[in-house]
Amino acid sequence: MNLIGDSLSPMDAEGASEILSRLRDVLRDSAVEEHDWDAVVGETPIESLGFDSLTILDVLYDVEEEFGIALDPKQVVKTRTVGEIIALLEQNGA
Amino acid sequence: MLHFLEYWAARLALLGVDMLPPAAASRWAAALGSLWWTADRPRRRVAISNILRAGVAADAGEARAIGRASARHMGMVLVESMKSELVLDDLERLRVDIPGDVAAVLEDPDRGLIVVSGHFGNWEIAGQWLSRYKPVAGISRPMNNPRVQELALSRRQRRGFRMIPKYDPDPGRFLKLLGDGEILALLVDQHARRGIDAPFFGHPAKTHTTAAMLHLVARTPLTFAVCRRTAPMTFELSLSPLIEQQRSGDRNADVEAILRTLNTHLEAAIRRDPDQYLWGHRRWR
Repeated sequence: MNLIGDSLSPMDAEGASEILSRLRDVLRDSAVEEHDWDAVVGETPIESLGFDSLTILDVLYDVEEEFGIALDPKQVVKTRTVGEIIALLEQNGA
Repeated sequence: MLHFLEYWAARLALLGVDMLPPAAASRWAAALGSLWWTADRPRRRVAISNILRAGVAADAGEARAIGRASARHMGMVLVESMKSELVLDDLERLRVDIPGDVAAVLEDPDRGLIVVSGHFGNWEIAGQWLSRYKPVAGISRPMNNPRVQELALSRRQRRGFRMIPKYDPDPGRFLKLLGDGEILALLVDQHARRGIDAPFFGHPAKTHTTAAMLHLVARTPLTFAVCRRTAPMTFELSLSPLIEQQRSGDRNADVEAILRTLNTHLEAAIRRDPDQYLWGHRRWR
């Protein structure tokens, strides 16, 4: 599965795959709206996940708790796809 | 047709406000507020019930007196907000008390600030005054009449103060605004269908979580503002020291702790001047 690009090494891809799996679980638990979370992949646009400026805050809190990291909000608002979120999580040590 | 009539009624009311000197306009608005108190029986009942429930009146008679004074106050708030330029640069008309930690944030162009208040005193004067430091975005619920909404917005946006809608499809807009070093101003005492219960005068009230979640997620400093009227067109604006909540890992517990603190600040202001609070909205549903 192509998560965030074709240049990933097998180990990178495995790590990204695990992060995606954990991310799906967080989204499933945090989200208010119904969604097919198993269908979420790296290319999935964040705007298609149905979050608004209020519900996204719940998700971000839960993501940070799940991965034990603190994300820079300025970096978060630049992300457009789930893959970019995964890359951001990896950069922050997830 | 109703929206059309409302729009022209609002235009005529604003014309009266613009033509009269401030003191006369304020008296006129207070009289309109008093008239509204007499005419709007359902709202009056809500207000009296809320005042008694909050425990700021000993009996129904005192609650009615506070309610009528509150209605007059809200009429004055409308005029004061329209005439705010008379207040904002006059140290005799607006005394300001800002703690050192909040002042440091206001003077740092790179740091955003969350300013919370309630429907107490003149919250719009507070937002407009703070815009001398950095742009202020005030979250508001859109009015039912879009033409009146447009008219109100055109009169309320002063200097670096602007109103933004509560709901918006852009998930990152609050984070971006605070990341750009702006001030986000919110009122904490509106009924929140999707909020959580936080005690307000000892009774659970559905409360918006936005301010608390932004503090927890964006790690943006948070303060509570009170702008109380001390005389006609004269105010005292005070900001609380920064409110800080460490994350525990329990999102709802963290949010509730912040909302309790915010409500405590608002309750203290209301107990001091109960006639400067908007009692006529259904806070407890």
